Amino acid sequence: MMSWDFLWRHTGRAVIFVTLCGLTFVVCFPLVWALSTSLKPKTEIFATPPTLIPKAPTFENYAALVTGRQQYFQSGGQQVDTGATPAQFFTRWFLNSLVVTLGSTLISIVVSTLAAYSLTRFRYWGRTFVPYFSLLGYMVPSIIFVFPLFLMMVRLELTDTLLSLVLGYVSITLPFCMWLMWAFMRSIPIEIEEAALVDGATRMQVFRDVVLPTALPGIIAAAIFAMIVSWNDYLFGRVFLNSLDNLTLTVGVMLFFEGTHVDWGLLMAACVLMTVPMAFLFMGLQRHLVAGFGAGAVKG
Amino acid sequence: MEVSLEAINKSFGSVRVLKDVSLHFPSRKFVTLLGPSGCGKTTLLRMIAGLETVDSGLIRFGDKVVNQLAPRDRNIAMVFQSYALYPQMSVRQNLAYGLRVRGTPKAARAEAVERVARILEIENLLERRPAQLSGGQRQRVALGRAMVRKPDIFLMDEPLSNLDARLRITMRAELRRFHLDLGATTVYVTHDQLEAMTMSDHVAVMNSGMVQQFGTPAEVYGRPANLFVAGFIGSPPMNLMPGRIEAENGVPVFANEQSRVPLRHLTQRLQVGQHVVLGARPQDLHLASSTDEASAHGRVWVVELVGSEKLVDIDLGGKRRIAVQVRADAHVREDDPVHVRIDPAQVHVFDASTERRVFEAA
Amino acid sequence: MARRLRGFTLSDQAVGVLFMVPFVLTALFFMVYPIVEAVRMAFFSYNPLRPDLSAFVGLSNFSYIFDDQLFWTSFWQATVWTSFSIVFQTLFGVAIALLLHQALPGIAIFRGLLLFPYIVPTVVIALIWRWIFNPEIGIVNYALLAGGVISERIYWLSTPEMAMASTIMLNVWKYTPFVVICVLARLQSVPLELYDAAKVDGAGVVRRFIDVTLPQLREVLIVVVVFRTIWTFNKFEEIYLLTKGGPGTSTFNLAVYAFEQSIANLKLGVGAATGVIMMIMLSIGSVIYLRSAGFAREETHG
Repeated sequence: MMSWDFLWRHTGRAVIFVTLCGLTFVVCFPLVWALSTSLKPKTEIFATPPTLIPKAPTFENYAALVTGRQQYFQSGGQQVDTGATPAQFFTRWFLNSLVVTLGSTLISIVVSTLAAYSLTRFRYWGRTFVPYFSLLGYMVPSIIFVFPLFLMMVRLELTDTLLSLVLGYVSITLPFCMWLMWAFMRSIPIEIEEAALVDGATRMQVFRDVVLPTALPGIIAAAIFAMIVSWNDYLFGRVFLNSLDNLTLTVGVMLFFEGTHVDWGLLMAACVLMTVPMAFLFMGLQRHLVAGFGAGAVKG
Repeated sequence: MEVSLEAINKSFGSVRVLKDVSLHFPSRKFVTLLGPSGCGKTTLLRMIAGLETVDSGLIRFGDKVVNQLAPRDRNIAMVFQSYALYPQMSVRQNLAYGLRVRGTPKAARAEAVERVARILEIENLLERRPAQLSGGQRQRVALGRAMVRKPDIFLMDEPLSNLDARLRITMRAELRRFHLDLGATTVYVTHDQLEAMTMSDHVAVMNSGMVQQFGTPAEVYGRPANLFVAGFIGSPPMNLMPGRIEAENGVPVFANEQSRVPLRHLTQRLQVGQHVVLGARPQDLHLASSTDEASAHGRVWVVELVGSEKLVDIDLGGKRRIAVQVRADAHVREDDPVHVRIDPAQVHVFDASTERRVFEAA
Repeated sequence: MARRLRGFTLSDQAVGVLFMVPFVLTALFFMVYPIVEAVRMAFFSYNPLRPDLSAFVGLSNFSYIFDDQLFWTSFWQATVWTSFSIVFQTLFGVAIALLLHQALPGIAIFRGLLLFPYIVPTVVIALIWRWIFNPEIGIVNYALLAGGVISERIYWLSTPEMAMASTIMLNVWKYTPFVVICVLARLQSVPLELYDAAKVDGAGVVRRFIDVTLPQLREVLIVVVVFRTIWTFNKFEEIYLLTKGGPGTSTFNLAVYAFEQSIANLKLGVGAATGVIMMIMLSIGSVIYLRSAGFAREETHG
């Protein structure tokens, strides 16, 4: 008799493989198309039929972003200087994003690691309440945080500074870092620390020599998460920052749409460059992601 | 170094895990805390280590009260059930860690590590990480980490429970030998009575937060102080039969529906009508050929061959069974009717209400 | 849990307190204060250009909102947006997770590529969407026209229905990986013996899925759906960056509504009141989550 099992064994794997290939193509297509556009010269971008693999690949879009060269547009046979263009600020914005991301991640990680250790190893009132409070904080949308924080920055005279963003991002990264570090610390067997205590280590030696190295995978996962959140944020940057010099990448790149003419090649190149650091982080995270989320956001 | 525990009490929330525990461990002896899980033995060990606070009572090392001392100031070493090796350090670093945090110079450290590694025969593993070791190797590293500092007291928390059966038997002998060679007081926690019997100088049998009996393995086995110890020590476990004392020609006789055993040696100790529990180890029971010498009768329920012996489970009727150990070549088959001889000199009698042993006259 | 904690009651409690201080301070300043302030602002009129005119107005921000047709429109659109997003994310997520759970050559590569959208900046996705869904020069319209699927260009972002559909697509594309990650993590922890037992009992592929896999996924799916519903309902960037809530107000949700009230209308109080309403709904969702995940059962042992 022809059973499902029989069918499964003989055709199932091939079907799955083909399905996965198709699915992956669909999912990756927008990114591939963006990459393709970014490598095309201006004339080829609007060519019909469109080409997936550029016929005359060029790095001129990337060069323009990296060197901040002035862009000129052909308009009725004469070159028009469009004035200051976003491309000029691209490297600046990139650095701003980097500084803000690293700064807020550092704060969130240090604070949450210390707290997670304390919460999982010492007994005091409220120690079970804190992680769940953090989880609730994680669910509060940033649109609620952003204006009170903005007014706080106004009072602290920090508006339009990178520091304001560093501090602001702590409020959207800390809750999840706290939760994740707590879940991770909880899973570290306490016997190892006790062994070190018996071996004669002081509390701080235990923390430095035993806890931190053991917690490193959790710290890395939380740090990558925090970096992704900070790097990708648009709302806080949009509300906190004004001057072109101080913008982060997300806010700045949206300015490419200002004005009448959109340079798609340049824009897609900017998109690619913005995504590359995340891609690297993602590769680092892949190993931790499944495990990390298993322990963190979703229990069992 | 002697260890004394004086009236130790401990509660976790509303649960009293240790109730007025007092024990004295002589210097340089191997003492085992034996009991089922949840009896408080591990808590007691952790108190000696300084990993646990004491609600009331005193812990002394020699004459010195150590209640307030941190683990690092007690000069103890501990082997954990999970071994608790530092996962990110090599075996060498694991062994040296205790010396490093105490500021021992590098050369002395290296020398101590080499010495211990030689004794434990783990010299070729020194550069490996714990994850790359087998269970037995991890065990040795954990031991080595404890040995390297020459502690006054060795604490071991079920160190063999994660090993397979064969390795456990070899390690038992090795641990005993290490103890003799090192000459430190060893406190060993286990729920395995065989480990306790084979390795220890003294055994403290614990149950529900109290010490049931403290003595040498022979004492604990031969003269169990109460019903709990009687049931817990010995494999296969002791047969326990409830009954009453009757008088027969001025001699007290244990009697129930299935058996009668005269208890001449306990004449002064027993009253007629007293409810008692009679204990008899399967090794001390015999199959009898005639009805006359037998104290009980029944039908063979099941026969288990255990190497050189056979364990015969006998159905005495009335849902009561009794186990008898015989030689492997004995002819017994399932469903045979049999007679069991109970030697009055080999039985243990416990008062049914106090559960305490009825001791022979001194 | 309790057993693991015991050991440290003896030693330096000071470390425990000391390590908590940075968190307590940071949480007070950057988590508790903004939320309290957001609630307070909901009862005040507040124009960021004239902070001196700020005044207590009681519930009038709320009555303004409830009288505002746009609020109700936004609410309805958010519901539509959320429902479609969640249904598709869950279906695709479970399907992809099941596919990725197979032992196939190169599965790690597929896994990496299929999870990647989750970490792509929303700004980037929105810009790429605007590019590929551009009605005149976008590749999607070109492909559909060339393939004969449609005969006229679709105005993806400039007609209300299609703009909504586009934002849903963006959301599904970006967040399906989250569902995949959660389901995959759960799948990997299903004991293989269960499948063996089902096979021995004579269950086929389909029955094994229904009787073994699905019940194991039930719990994680409840959690994922509740979480994603809460987050999706309150999303701002995914909509704002793609359509700015438009065309007109056809893709407004509550977050965009709150943003527009605060930034364009300079009514921070109204924006904050919207936030309070969002938080109330979020709390309801959280309670459902906490109930369903059974957190209350944990750590009651002293």
